[in-house]
Amino acid sequence: MFNQIKKLTLALAVLTIFNNTFAMEHHNAKHTATNIVINDPWIRSAPPNAPALGLFMQINNNSNKDIKLLSVNTSGYKRIELHRTIAHSGMMKMVKQDFMPIPAQGILHLKPGSWHVMLIGPKRVPRMGEKVIISLKFDNGTTQVVEALVKKGGMMKNHLMH
Amino acid sequence: MNYKLLSGIGVVALAVVSFYLVNVDKDYRAILSQQLKVSHIIYNPDKELPKFSLLDYDNQAFNNEHLKGDWSLVLFIYTHCPDICPTELMDMASLKRLMEEDKTAKMPKVVAITFDPLRDTPEVLKTYISYFDKDFIGVSGEQAQIDRLIKPFGAYYERVIVAENGKQTILKASEKLPENALKEGYIINHTAWIYLLNPEGQIFAGFPSPHKPKEMMQDIKLIMEHF
Repeated sequence: MFNQIKKLTLALAVLTIFNNTFAMEHHNAKHTATNIVINDPWIRSAPPNAPALGLFMQINNNSNKDIKLLSVNTSGYKRIELHRTIAHSGMMKMVKQDFMPIPAQGILHLKPGSWHVMLIGPKRVPRMGEKVIISLKFDNGTTQVVEALVKKGGMMKNHLMH
Repeated sequence: MNYKLLSGIGVVALAVVSFYLVNVDKDYRAILSQQLKVSHIIYNPDKELPKFSLLDYDNQAFNNEHLKGDWSLVLFIYTHCPDICPTELMDMASLKRLMEEDKTAKMPKVVAITFDPLRDTPEVLKTYISYFDKDFIGVSGEQAQIDRLIKPFGAYYERVIVAENGKQTILKASEKLPENALKEGYIINHTAWIYLLNPEGQIFAGFPSPHKPKEMMQDIKLIMEHF
């Protein structure tokens, strides 16, 4: 009886170690395969009849190669475009981009008044607090799926918005 | 003789008083300008806004008289703008909240006038502008009236139509939109200053983008105290 318990405990320990090792390998494999980490994806809350919404995030490129964000996809919009707001000749210009560059070992910060994804013609404007599934396609062949939170936000980071 | 002498004294006194008033006025503006953090005084007491007649978001007349009596903050926006315009409106909502908390000065009336009345009808503006604050006023109307009104503010815009192949067509404010533009859509490049108008309905100060509500509040309070 005692021997049986000992064997079972041993088997359980082996299984646990094996399982943990496998999980860690799996995690590491996933991490190294992507090289792209997306932080704080968010959509700015907008009036219920807003014809266009802004999507923002931080894209970290942990690889040694420059990467391009080629397109963004989510359901329920007529069109999705990559844009950059540029101050030029006293005007704020929204310039459509073919891609967004994320430098090797660098970060691209999508934020109001700068780089942003324009979600055009929403079937329904998502409400504050909702989470929207977004997929991002990069030129290294990977696609990342993230959940963007709908929240308030101005030009300065989280300024005065409680 | 006495009459001539008195007239002479009167003229000299008038000249001295005028000289004094003009210089005091200049001094006050110069001193005020030095204290302002995020705004520029662009006040010209001899300049009135051109007569205009527009519609507010309740389809009621909105003209020069509606910018008189109280201080106002005027901004020009369009609702298809996903970035700059909602940021400006959110900044105005933040400013209003700050001024209400501060309690030492009355928040000016916020008036958002569209660059794009073709798409931004009063009904569209009602839903859109009220979302940011129910007290903000949205204004639409005839394009020609809006184009004339924005000039003395130094505000301007251009419409950009992007074809499917990526080709951009830029239309100046006076140029007519092609028929398919409404269907295909267009964006608007525009100036993004916010303007403070005095109770006489004259442009007094301008705030360039990006806007900082806290600093804006300090400047607005200074201006209103010294006016």
